[in-house]
Amino acid sequence: MKASCVRAIVRKDAIMAMRNKLVLMALIGGVLFSLIYYALPASVEETYALGLYDQGDSELISTLPLVSMGGFTLDEVSSEDELTRMVQQGDYVAGIVVPDGFDEVIESGETPTLSLVVGPDVPSGTIDSLAYIIQTALDYAAHGTPPVQLSTEVVGEDMAGAHVPLREQSIPLYIVLALMMEMWTIATLIVEEGASGTLRAVLVTPATPSDVISAKGIVGGSYSLGVVAVILLLTQSLRGDPLALLVGIVVGALFAVTLGLLLGSLTTNITGSYIYVSVPMLVLLLPALVVLIPDVSLSVIKLIPTYYLVNAFGSILNSGAGLGDVWSDFLLIAVCALAFFVLGVLSLRRRY
Amino acid sequence: MIIEAHDLTYAYGDLLAVDHISFSVEKGEILGFLGPNGAGKSTTVKMLTGQLAPLEGTAIVLGKDVSTHAKQVHERIGVCFEEKNLYPRMTVRENLSFFAALFDRAVDIDSLLEKVNLEKWADDHAETLSKGMQQRLMFARSLINDPDVLFLDEPTSGLDPISADQIRRMILEEKKKGKTIFLTTHNMMEADALSDRVGFINEGRIVALDTPQNLKLQYGVRSLKVKQRSGEGFTEETLPLDETSTPGRMQELLERGDVATIHTQEASLEEVFIKLTGRKLVQ
Repeated sequence: MKASCVRAIVRKDAIMAMRNKLVLMALIGGVLFSLIYYALPASVEETYALGLYDQGDSELISTLPLVSMGGFTLDEVSSEDELTRMVQQGDYVAGIVVPDGFDEVIESGETPTLSLVVGPDVPSGTIDSLAYIIQTALDYAAHGTPPVQLSTEVVGEDMAGAHVPLREQSIPLYIVLALMMEMWTIATLIVEEGASGTLRAVLVTPATPSDVISAKGIVGGSYSLGVVAVILLLTQSLRGDPLALLVGIVVGALFAVTLGLLLGSLTTNITGSYIYVSVPMLVLLLPALVVLIPDVSLSVIKLIPTYYLVNAFGSILNSGAGLGDVWSDFLLIAVCALAFFVLGVLSLRRRY
Repeated sequence: MIIEAHDLTYAYGDLLAVDHISFSVEKGEILGFLGPNGAGKSTTVKMLTGQLAPLEGTAIVLGKDVSTHAKQVHERIGVCFEEKNLYPRMTVRENLSFFAALFDRAVDIDSLLEKVNLEKWADDHAETLSKGMQQRLMFARSLINDPDVLFLDEPTSGLDPISADQIRRMILEEKKKGKTIFLTTHNMMEADALSDRVGFINEGRIVALDTPQNLKLQYGVRSLKVKQRSGEGFTEETLPLDETSTPGRMQELLERGDVATIHTQEASLEEVFIKLTGRKLVQ
């Protein structure tokens, strides 16, 4: 590798990138996308707001919020129709319709029926947990003791009551998306150089394929670092262990850049490159998207390297993890980046 | 010898593009490589400049095996490509400065631009230049490291006559400076005018290699073209110089008094090429 060649290509690529609409779009787009952050809920509602229509003013029901230990709140409404309407409007997650003489039926040892009115967009998992909370609370209220004694042991730091809001969970998505856009940009720049023949002209000078890849890595890496830093600033997410965060950004940028270089070296056909690049890009975005969808746990996602990037960023930013906790994730990403670099150089040497 | 090719061979899949060719070029010489499209000219240049590794044989440039010492060779050669491969969104000056930086050289870009008559367009983007100007810029780029050897692959292909002539004059200027030049072309006039020696390549093989004069003398037919008045028009008659009947026929025509013009004719490289290969240079 020749430092003067790398320096010259870095300077040239920096000029070219600033004059390339694609690069500017990727830069601006990556940053703008992160502004979705502010459209997402900033806090987690951990207490269900329920409507109540109690025809017989049940004493048992009135004690429910207390015995549910904050599991839900109850707002009484004047009619069943009003309850249904407010649930449909989303004012309440669900509503409880209590029949007349509810307390008496329980006292007689029979099993009364309680109607739960649920809105159309409430996930089934939420309905199940809501029904379970209500049943347990009622059992407790009626008999004075819970049905079972549950012993809970939290392994590691107890994060109870510290649920991560959706907007904070979404930050790894913006970071990975920005990195993937940089990857796509770099791949496209390489393909363009191949298609226009300029790479061939560069390679009959003292510059080698390693010089070209290293220089583009420096430029692409710098852009990636810049974009991720701006995203973290815009979303006010510069928190957690600074060293772990810095290592994560650097390793992520290297991953994106080397993958872009490898994919860009596979073809000189600009149209064909869209398939070469966009398909891996979509696959690599999956782990970041899956994190945002509750109740989805796909073990196959762990086969995608970016899962470990998302996991590490999530842990650093939202769970206070340090470098010691996420080093294995970063190591795996770094190994992938090294493999992409070697394969990229070999591919360029074979082609040019 | 500055350039030596020994049994150079290259194939694209099953297609044998260059078939065991050998030749050498002396210092300060222009070797014209003449052949139709697809004859193997550009593939030969790519092997000589380290862009392609020969399937068989060796390419030695400036005493170094190109396959094993490509970067040492690249330090001292200049390559002008057939296809336009400039950075379109960079200015003329930026294009040259970038390549000067790759060679880690302080180059007087302005005088280089003056040499190729592009000084007025120094700050224009390369994509805005005409085809001829782009070719001149590519030629200037090939001179950026003041190379000992120039590889010029079809440097005037597709240019208008004025631009092509400008490039040819620049090639001759470089020859005067003692540079060795390997020139590929399918333009026989160009090869004839510029080359010290010409190599004919056809279907990957060198079919003849000599000075243009020797090739024409060896393979061509010298003749006289006589134009005579005939009624209200003219008729033309070609008389081979080497035939015994020609002096008598010439005397006969002159005595009749209706000879309008007489021109001596030597064979063109095109005719020699056709005679040797059975095909034209431009198909």
